[in-house]
Amino acid sequence: MSRRHLGLACEVLDHELVDSDGLPCGMVDDVELAGDLGSSLKVTALLVGPGAWGPRLPALLRLLVRLVWGARRTRVPWAEVEHVAERVHLRSRATELGLGVRERKARRWIAWIPLNEHEPQ
Amino acid sequence: MKKILETFLGILTAMGGFVEIGELTFTVNAGSKFHYRLLWVMMLGTIGIMVFCEMAGRIAAVRKLPVFQIVRERTGFSLGLLTLVSASAVCLLTCAAEIGAIAMIWQLLSGWPYRALILLALAFLLLSVWFLSFRWIERVFGLGGLLLIVYIVTALKLAPDWGTLAAGLVPTLPDRGSGQLTVYAFFAVALLSSIMLPYETYFYASGGIEDEWKPSDITLNRVIVLIGFTLGALLSVSLLVLGSEFFGAREIEIARPGSAALAPAWQLGQHGLLIALLGMFFAFAGAAIETALSAAYNLAQFFGWPWGKHRAPAQAPRFALCWIVVFVLAALVVSTGVDPVQVVEYSIVFSIVILPLTYLPLMLVAGDKRVMGQHVNGPLAATLGWGYFVIITLAAIAAIPLMILTHGGEG
Repeated sequence: MSRRHLGLACEVLDHELVDSDGLPCGMVDDVELAGDLGSSLKVTALLVGPGAWGPRLPALLRLLVRLVWGARRTRVPWAEVEHVAERVHLRSRATELGLGVRERKARRWIAWIPLNEHEPQ
Repeated sequence: MKKILETFLGILTAMGGFVEIGELTFTVNAGSKFHYRLLWVMMLGTIGIMVFCEMAGRIAAVRKLPVFQIVRERTGFSLGLLTLVSASAVCLLTCAAEIGAIAMIWQLLSGWPYRALILLALAFLLLSVWFLSFRWIERVFGLGGLLLIVYIVTALKLAPDWGTLAAGLVPTLPDRGSGQLTVYAFFAVALLSSIMLPYETYFYASGGIEDEWKPSDITLNRVIVLIGFTLGALLSVSLLVLGSEFFGAREIEIARPGSAALAPAWQLGQHGLLIALLGMFFAFAGAAIETALSAAYNLAQFFGWPWGKHRAPAQAPRFALCWIVVFVLAALVVSTGVDPVQVVEYSIVFSIVILPLTYLPLMLVAGDKRVMGQHVNGPLAATLGWGYFVIITLAAIAAIPLMILTHGGEG
């Protein structure tokens, strides 16, 4: 992996993802790299979800994460990245990229509570 | 004019929100046991929380980065997750203690059963956070907490010896042969922790982002931290005076939060008692809300979920579910009959243990010129920052052994 790509991977790893509507939609839990032997590696996608952060934990915890949160992993192609600053800004909406699935499930729970759409004054 | 009003309200809410059950019980008992000998720790802690919050507020204003996003970026996923789990556990315990304390205060006023009042307190807190905006939560509970000024009035009426009080600013050890050295050390660490509670920083930084602070708000941040926390520290000093002059003189150790209201009742009569109890209610309810919201902020920021009270619950559903669950779990903890004062003792000791884990990443970002640009730590902030990092790390190492050795300060 070239120094530039190593730097890029470090710069985006564990940074917040923001979709085209400006909404947070997860963290960069891992990065996907591609390249042949002898050539430099490239960041090809960002990986999001317990299937991406679980393997970064010690073995016993990895098993626990798999049991409790599953192994869902969403792949965001690098071409979807608009720019990188404190946060990683994406070109598309979270729903189009398959992000924020659990957020939508949680919304169904909140929908049971009255006045869940009000913005507190 | 709007800016002046905002600053003024910020100062008052910072003052009113300075004291919670842990600080109240530890400070009064520290005064009762050691008179003014631990005043220097209170000064040390107050400057420490100023340094910590000023940095967190500055980062929030300049880069809109909240604490747990920084923790994850700077310490990586595994250590960050450990910090998150520990911080959430401490927030939950502190929230439980505050809910228990609210129920105890209401019990003193109404005589109703304790467990029923826990349920009422839970309902009250859930409805408050559901319906009030961040700004109004700050104002209602921060300004209500100002009723605790009754303790300053009581302390003044007790006419402490100002020379002896001022002498407490110079560290001195207990008398030789009293066998109180380890208890003194435990109280020093616990008092430092109770003033530098990490959740205050999570809440403060997230609040800066909720209030849409910009780089131009750095002065507002500094004024709130410097003046608001200094005034808040005056409240704490008045509790130390009460501990020494009222409770210590009568050899009373506070086992219940409401007992602290005895001193204003003695000095100012029924009105003093009512104002003190009301002030404690607002302070404890404010702290319960801050801890529940802090736990939700931390989780959301660590995993990149939409968060904030400026969003409707349906727009930040996991964030909303988190603070609801924290309130419910906290109420369940105290419903078991566990003593809130004991719960808060544990939460305060564990708070200092995890403090360096959130403090260091903030220090690194605040001192990083690439991130902070012209707003990077200056020589004073950097010196104080690293100095405090050493102090809190030493306190974190000593906290649990001291708790075991002294049986939680009992000796």
